Amino acid sequence: MDDKSTANMAVLAGEIMLKSGAETYRVEDTIKHILDTAGTAETEALVMLTGIIVTIDRPGEEAVTVMRRVHDRGTNMHRIVEVNEISRKYCAGELSAEETWEKLNSIKGKQYSVRMYNLATVLVPAGFAPLFGGGIREILAAAGIGIVLAVLMTIGKRVRIGRFILNMICAAGAAVAAVLLQLWNPLLNMDTVIISGIMPLVPGVAITNAIRDTLRGDYISGGARALEAFVTAAAVAIGVGVGIGLTTVFWQGGGLL
Amino acid sequence: MELVLVTVGCFLAVAGFAVLVETPRKYILQAGFAGAFGGWVYFYSMQRGLDTVPACFLSALVISLVAHIFARIFKAPVTVFLIAGILPTVPGAGMYRAVYYIIADDRARSSYYLLQTLEIAGVIALAIFIVDTVFRIRIKRKK
Repeated sequence: MDDKSTANMAVLAGEIMLKSGAETYRVEDTIKHILDTAGTAETEALVMLTGIIVTIDRPGEEAVTVMRRVHDRGTNMHRIVEVNEISRKYCAGELSAEETWEKLNSIKGKQYSVRMYNLATVLVPAGFAPLFGGGIREILAAAGIGIVLAVLMTIGKRVRIGRFILNMICAAGAAVAAVLLQLWNPLLNMDTVIISGIMPLVPGVAITNAIRDTLRGDYISGGARALEAFVTAAAVAIGVGVGIGLTTVFWQGGGLL
Repeated sequence: MELVLVTVGCFLAVAGFAVLVETPRKYILQAGFAGAFGGWVYFYSMQRGLDTVPACFLSALVISLVAHIFARIFKAPVTVFLIAGILPTVPGAGMYRAVYYIIADDRARSSYYLLQTLEIAGVIALAIFIVDTVFRIRIKRKK
């Protein structure tokens, strides 16, 4: 296998991992391992949150460099695990280069049905309600908010609006639903319900990755991810604020002000 | 009784979140367990009168410990268990309260909760850092 294909393969593996929300240092590690199977060449890999640069340099030959810009990023553990396994097998010599290339290309994205997805969106707020001091009443209300979230997220994915706005709309929807539920049943603890409701939206993934990247000394990616976490948090916070504000304006006397 | 409810709730919620981040089927239960451990530690230490921030620290410590151990046992990247598991500790409540008191025009409480949110994020970082470092030391000695 020539250097060009090795570099391409390494970049493909890195791109899949980066798009799936792996830590930057792990992506760099994986790429470096794949490149080093090329043998006695000088190899170098630079991974940032938004792009990958890879180069293989042999003495007396022209260096091969591949660069890839990575645009949209989500979180997909399945793909991280798959790439991890494939690259480990490739580096151990269990897979040939062609097999590896094919396997990398055939990694699938979704593995759960839409119904499962929506069920999970309902389960997260309902499950967290007891942690934030809720009883049976709050659990049910939080599940209701989960349904609202599932609906909003499904619509949001169809319409393809930006992440920031979608988070804001979802948080606002959760807040509006919680305020209305409390108007209907004044015994309900609105705080608990809203906090549980926004749990699927809070930037836990970004915070965790920001920490791990920063502590490995990858300050550019760590800083970028910290900013990502902050922006998501701000979107959720603004959404909740707008939601509560609007409902209390329209239903005066029943809200908090 | 409450503690059991919280633990079961955390398990279900974290397993649900694991589905949302497309965790492979065979690791969903383990991710749920990591979250349940964390939720249990958090709630138990709160019941024992510990403050929110130290409780978050303990719980993040336990979660990352469990995630690292699971990663070794089940031969999967640590992220798979850590990202879903850390969710009960993530300062969603602090974030919400900070905004709520801005709307309610209570600056003092709002900045109190804002600071608390940052503190929690800080101690989560500290906990993950400690466990990461400990596990890296062990690996290097082995080689």
